[in-house]
Amino acid sequence: MALLEVDSVTKRFGGLRAVDGASLHVDEGELLGLNPTQLTRRGVLRMFQMTRVFARVSAFDNLVVCGLAMGLDEPAASGRAVELLEELQLAHVMHLDGGQLSGGQKKLLEFGMCFMVPPRLALLDEPFAAVHPVMKETMASFIRRRNANGQTFVLVSHDMPVVVELCPRSVCMNAGKVLAEGPTQQVLRDASVIEAYLGEHAADEVEHG
Amino acid sequence: MNRNFLRDKLAQELRLALVVLACLALLPLGISSPYWLGVLIVSMYFAMLSVGWNLLAGYTGQFSLAPAAFAMLGAYTTGLAAWHWQIPLAIGLPLAIVVPGLIGLVLGRIVLRLSGPYLALTTLAFAEIARLVIYNSIDFTRGDQGLNVPPLVESHVANYYLLLAALVAATLVVYAMLRAPIGRYLQAIRDDEIGAASRGIDVVRAKTIAFFVSCAICGFAGGLYGTFAQLVSPELGLIAQTGIVIAMVVIGGMGTLVGPLIGAVLVYVASEMLRDVGNIQMIVFALLVIVFARFFREGLWGLARDAVAGRRAATAAAAAAKEAR
Repeated sequence: MALLEVDSVTKRFGGLRAVDGASLHVDEGELLGLNPTQLTRRGVLRMFQMTRVFARVSAFDNLVVCGLAMGLDEPAASGRAVELLEELQLAHVMHLDGGQLSGGQKKLLEFGMCFMVPPRLALLDEPFAAVHPVMKETMASFIRRRNANGQTFVLVSHDMPVVVELCPRSVCMNAGKVLAEGPTQQVLRDASVIEAYLGEHAADEVEHG
Repeated sequence: MNRNFLRDKLAQELRLALVVLACLALLPLGISSPYWLGVLIVSMYFAMLSVGWNLLAGYTGQFSLAPAAFAMLGAYTTGLAAWHWQIPLAIGLPLAIVVPGLIGLVLGRIVLRLSGPYLALTTLAFAEIARLVIYNSIDFTRGDQGLNVPPLVESHVANYYLLLAALVAATLVVYAMLRAPIGRYLQAIRDDEIGAASRGIDVVRAKTIAFFVSCAICGFAGGLYGTFAQLVSPELGLIAQTGIVIAMVVIGGMGTLVGPLIGAVLVYVASEMLRDVGNIQMIVFALLVIVFARFFREGLWGLARDAVAGRRAATAAAAAAKEAR
């Protein structure tokens, strides 16, 4: 079931940006027609590039409200929130309002908000942008652990070292089109990818040199 | 136990709200002048409007400019029911909860996608239209002559306790909502509506409920006020009345349980004391609102709470320093 979803999302990613979106799957039509609330209830959670936390309630309550919205009851949501705060190294700021946290702490908190109830599919949009390296490692290990347990992620990132480390498979896109798709190392060696990211000459050099 | 966790914050605020309400219940023992009792009754009416408006503006972030209009609608619901169809107050007053609530629900649906100044202006337009319709439907509402309403209880003291009981009920309804998941959803919507929707919160449902409850509370306040004054007129819905409600909530403490209660009593009693100096009172309140909204977002209640917390922290620090020595 989870595999099917990965497949459809990668296709949809290509289809979404391409000029003709004829390749859309039936599943996607269903997903695309839903509003954000319905989408979330079906287990597709997303993180935003610009962090979205609730600024005037505590970090703890930020997590609890997400748990309640996903159908947990209050004790379960509180317990889960404390667990996640520990795991994300946010226990010491759990009483601060969302708006008082640093940029990286907000991103970590958003991870927690997405995983109060583990989603079927987690969409992460540039989670590592402008984040302190220590927190970046916390996030990376958070993803790694869940991925090892079979959690499906779609990660959008410009941070190549992290992509190489975390993602066995990648899709490289440029100007709305899929350039290459496959095992990450192979994608990075693809001539069109190198050309797009480093320029035509670099591609020649890699090929001939 | 942490002071900044919603549940603990709410429990603390409920305790204080109950203390404030208990003090209000004792006031008639010391005040016998009918004039000041009248002032207190009206301030209970305004406190109810403040509690209703605070649910919408303070907790849900929906800055409506129609609380006074809904009080007027509640008062006219009871009034018209008694005037045209001789419907007793036992039915007329519950109608003053349901009818404005349902109208508020419809208004909430209309302004669903609006926020900030757009929402404020749309609700303002609604408030003025509602008032003008009542003002001009002379055959049905008697226009600015107003409608006579039968009293529910006769004496000032009884009326005071009647409105106070309704205020307690309204406060407890808001407390119960805030303690339930819906309360957390409302505050999430206030902070970030798109974020709330993308976390699985049903924004439409939560906002609709907030509009219904808020407008129902305002409507009930209006209905009760009508039976006290024994007269309802379109002036109940004047935009200046909404201005007073906003001043009360902002000065008392927006988005808190206690703020609207202390704000309503303080502002209304102060405005009575300043009556001799004329309209300058409104200028003073307007300035206070600006200062509080800009610098003290949780109003007098927030200031008092922080002062107490600060003193506790200082005492604890002093004790720790003593121990270290």
